[in-house]
Amino acid sequence: MEPVVSAIRAVPLEHYVYLSFVLFSIGLAGALFRRNTIIILMCLELMFNSVNLLLAAFSAHHSDPSGQVFVFFIMLVAAAEVTVGLAILVMMKRNVDSVDVNQLNRLKW
Amino acid sequence: MELLILLLLPFLTATLLMVVRPTAAAKHIALGSTLLSLGLVLWLWYNWTGTAVVAVNADWFPQWGMRLVLGYDGVGLLMLLLTTAVFPFIIAAGYKQNLQHPSMVNALLLYTQTFLLGVFMAQNAFLFYICYELSLVPLFFLLLYWGGERRRAITVRFFIYTLLGGLALLFAIAYCVVQEPTHNADFSALANLALSPDTQVWLFWALFLAFAIKLPMFPFHSWQPDTYTMAPLQGTMVLGGVMLKMGLYGTLKFVFPIVPEGVVYWRDTVIVLSLVGALYAGVIAFRQRDLKRLVAYSSLGHVGVLTAGLFAWNSYGVSGSLYQAFAHAVLVIGLFYIVGAVKDRTGTSELGAMGGLKLKTPRLAALFLLVVLNAVALPLTQSFVGEWLMFNGLWQRDGWFALLAVITIVLGAIYMLYAYQRVMLGPDKWQLEMADADRSDHLYLVPLIAVSLVLGIHPAPILDLVNAPVQQMIDLFTVTH
Amino acid sequence: MVSFDMLGKWCWLVPAFPLAGALINAALRRKLGANVAGGLATLMTALSFVVSALLFFGHDPAVTPVKVVKLFDWIRVAGMDIGFAFQLDALSLTMMMIVTGIGTLIHLYSVGYMHDDKRVASFFAMLNLFTFAMLLLVMGSNYVITFIGWEGVGLCSYLLIGFWYTNPEYNYAARKAFVMNRIGDVGVVLALCLLFSLFGTLDYTSIMDQASGFGAGNPLIVGATLLLFVGAMGKSAQIPLFTWLPDAMAGPTPVSALIHAATMVTAGIFLVVRSSVLFELAPFTQDVVLYVGVGTALLAASIGLFQNDIKKVLAYSTVSQLGYMFAALGLGAYSAGMFHVTTHAFFKALLFLGAGSVIHALGGEQDIRKMGGLKGVTKITHWTFLAGTLAISGIFPFSGFFSKDSILANAFAHSPVVYALLLLGALMTAFYMFRLLFLTFWGSYRGTAHPHESPLVITLPLMVLAVLSVLGGLLNLPHLFGGHEAMKHYLATAAEGIHNESLHLSASTEWILMGLSTGLVVLTIVYAYGLFVKKTTLDGAPAQMPALKRLIAEKWRIDELYAFLFEKPYGWLSTQFARVGEDRIFVPLMNGVGNLTLRAGKVARRLQTGNASFYLFAMVAGIIVFLLITLYGG
Repeated sequence: MEPVVSAIRAVPLEHYVYLSFVLFSIGLAGALFRRNTIIILMCLELMFNSVNLLLAAFSAHHSDPSGQVFVFFIMLVAAAEVTVGLAILVMMKRNVDSVDVNQLNRLKW
Repeated sequence: MELLILLLLPFLTATLLMVVRPTAAAKHIALGSTLLSLGLVLWLWYNWTGTAVVAVNADWFPQWGMRLVLGYDGVGLLMLLLTTAVFPFIIAAGYKQNLQHPSMVNALLLYTQTFLLGVFMAQNAFLFYICYELSLVPLFFLLLYWGGERRRAITVRFFIYTLLGGLALLFAIAYCVVQEPTHNADFSALANLALSPDTQVWLFWALFLAFAIKLPMFPFHSWQPDTYTMAPLQGTMVLGGVMLKMGLYGTLKFVFPIVPEGVVYWRDTVIVLSLVGALYAGVIAFRQRDLKRLVAYSSLGHVGVLTAGLFAWNSYGVSGSLYQAFAHAVLVIGLFYIVGAVKDRTGTSELGAMGGLKLKTPRLAALFLLVVLNAVALPLTQSFVGEWLMFNGLWQRDGWFALLAVITIVLGAIYMLYAYQRVMLGPDKWQLEMADADRSDHLYLVPLIAVSLVLGIHPAPILDLVNAPVQQMIDLFTVTH
Repeated sequence: MVSFDMLGKWCWLVPAFPLAGALINAALRRKLGANVAGGLATLMTALSFVVSALLFFGHDPAVTPVKVVKLFDWIRVAGMDIGFAFQLDALSLTMMMIVTGIGTLIHLYSVGYMHDDKRVASFFAMLNLFTFAMLLLVMGSNYVITFIGWEGVGLCSYLLIGFWYTNPEYNYAARKAFVMNRIGDVGVVLALCLLFSLFGTLDYTSIMDQASGFGAGNPLIVGATLLLFVGAMGKSAQIPLFTWLPDAMAGPTPVSALIHAATMVTAGIFLVVRSSVLFELAPFTQDVVLYVGVGTALLAASIGLFQNDIKKVLAYSTVSQLGYMFAALGLGAYSAGMFHVTTHAFFKALLFLGAGSVIHALGGEQDIRKMGGLKGVTKITHWTFLAGTLAISGIFPFSGFFSKDSILANAFAHSPVVYALLLLGALMTAFYMFRLLFLTFWGSYRGTAHPHESPLVITLPLMVLAVLSVLGGLLNLPHLFGGHEAMKHYLATAAEGIHNESLHLSASTEWILMGLSTGLVVLTIVYAYGLFVKKTTLDGAPAQMPALKRLIAEKWRIDELYAFLFEKPYGWLSTQFARVGEDRIFVPLMNGVGNLTLRAGKVARRLQTGNASFYLFAMVAGIIVFLLITLYGG
């Protein structure tokens, strides 16, 4: 057994779940209530990572590597998503001179 | 194989026109394509042995009951014949119209033809439904971009209304397919679906609503006059000449085999509504101020009798109704062409402004009169055969129905002759020079008149086509009930 | 001589000739000159007459009473098999002789009369087409073929009444004729449907065979005959559908003579005689026919008393005489009715053509108040017109005497009241006809035109018809005068009803009836002579007349009544249906569907705030709701 896996297993599974829950909740609360787009993007990443953490933990505990493969995929997609998000952010700053998410409310009706 | 060619020919021609976009040659290409289709169907007719044909039979999404099944029986062949016979005339009507973007117009018309043919060939409920709804799409653009006054409002209204009916149909088909043990949506399978009588009573309307709107049957008719009046000439011809026959055919294909109990329950209601509608439209037509609108109402009147004849559900009624479907197509194409010809010359279709046109255009007047004779169902014209059979069919159902139906021929005489008089007869109201019917007008109208006369004197070819399948359907109906 | 059976196969030639003439004239209507077109049309009708005559004289009812010649199958659906077939029997052959014989004369006349019209070839095409349709009507071997002709003659009547189409009044008259005929046709179509459902066939021969299976007074047979009679009312201008016929005088005069006097309007009588087997089974219908006939005879005769248009007088006279014929049919005296059809065809065609000759002589004048004294100028017209007038008035030995007397005798046998009424009608007929004759030809000329006699092509038909009007009575000479009712016995081979006829009056009674009617008619003529030749009493405008006379002169205001009862309400209904029905009910109903969609959209789009935070919030809320449902929902 690899040392990383045994290291992960050293901590009981519940603790990962609690931690992930806390991280996810922080991220969700941030995404919902903050208006600064940069912070919202960071909160989204936080949520991703909480899920990644959980996936890695379960993967190690169940001896199923596919969970960790998922983590890599998610990281990849998240990275791509952040690039797009940041690009939108830059355009937004240029166009409306603000990073307040509520400024972007014209996409309706 | 022939059926696939028949389906692909207009489709590919239309696509070609869309891609290449020729201006001058577009109508020639389109006309050639429709004539080829007609030739193909005539060939099918020539080889017709009297037994139903299933030419293509392939799985598509079999788990949802969707299968590609193409074929035809006598009734289907009549409808194919009607469609392909009428389309060359519809395309040819464009020769004098000079609409913008002729390649687009012709392509749209050919797409419509494709889906109409698909409707009449489909032997699977889903395939039928898809073609049924798709046929509206090209027409939507035709009406929206080439229509007359208030085209946006009227087109959108027409579409929402017909789609509403289509939605009910889709729901009903889905319901039937779920009930079918093997989830097969072929007509042959659905016909054996013995639904409980209570179900059939409500399912009847789900199935029939789409067709009632498409026909249109009173009181679902109110989209029709506006749409016919506003649509470009060719669009009106498609709507009145072929499109509404989908309603008739659909009723025959769907409603009667699947919900016979529902038909038994509702048929007198439908007959009464149709006949009331026919009388109502006949009365309204009398005082219409616009010639095109008058013809629209006259069509509504004819269709009312047609629907009633169908629901009389005996050999005379159904054969008459199908025969009249063909006659009506020939008739409305001719009438609308004359409306167009009059409008070309006078610049209006307002009846109040007309009069005395016969002094300037005696030939056009004579042609108009000959078409009018078919419209008032004079014996030895095609319409008479159809109406005579329908009157007998309705009589066998109930004498009062026949009375209501026969009164429509009086109303028809009143408004048609009044319209003819207001346009053609009386003192001359026009100070302008205008050309009489020329060679192309004759080339257009004389074949239509000839068809109406020949089939009025010798209706056997068409009647023989439908007699056997109609008899079969009626027999099935009486065996189970 | 070719045998009847051989020739019978060629009977389709009879309608084919006029049809060919119609098609040629119609196709070449701009290229043919007046004489060529007219000559062709006349020739075609004459050929048709020749074939008819060969058939008629070759026909021996004792050998082949009925011959059916089938050309082809027409409509064949399930149990319905309607063949395109002709039936040759005494009835159809007699009618063919009348139609083609008088038709030929009137065609010939038209060559002269219509010579200067620009659309003369169209005219002859329509006239030939009419002959064709009328022949189909009388020759058909089943009701549907007869119905083709029935509608066809209606069409030709429409076309010819509105022949001078730039005049809106004429067009109106034409439409009125067509629509009223169509109202009658509703009855015919329904009768045909009913008969078909009863008998399973519409062939005359089969129906005649099967009819005996129905008892007298069978309600279905009564219904069918009543419906047939509705059609006959329309075509033969009986109350209440008679108002179109006087207006139909808008057409050229030969048309009035051929269509609206001699042939088409007698189609209703023909139809009833054809169906006599059925009418015999329906006593109720016979009564209706009798009363409608008597009523029409009196009403139309009364209107005729005060008309001043030469053609209108003759038109009302025609309506009145048709009433006589129906009265005869109602009495069961079919042979008397058919006899009157024949003699009436002779003398009424003669009178109309004579009127046409007068109108031609006066350059289009039709008001008899502006005529007078023409007998010096238009000698032939006058003498022939006199022959016609004497015939219609029923003076011995003119043809009308015999036919009318036969009807009156039957009426007397039925009921003296009916007899008295019909006699009154006959007196009115004599009065207005002699008024017409005296005011037109006698006295002194009151107009301004320069009258001249018409050419031979016009007067020749007049002379032929005059001879027929004088001698027509010989066709059915009663026993009293040494004859043996030839026509009755001939027609009895074709019509069951005639076969069953029986009239039981002693010879002395008949002599008294004849003496009475002749004496009264002569008195009436003397009275008219005093009124119109001695004094020349002319009517002024209706407004200055006493009330009752004014009412009659204004045609009992029946046109106004119909306008008030039907035309105006119909127009109103049409407008209201469009304004209220369409604009207020059905279009809004349909718009409702669209509006409902739009409204729903308007509400639903509020959710689309455009605020990303809100979307996110909604999403999370949705997820939580679903989670809660999955956990605790069950």
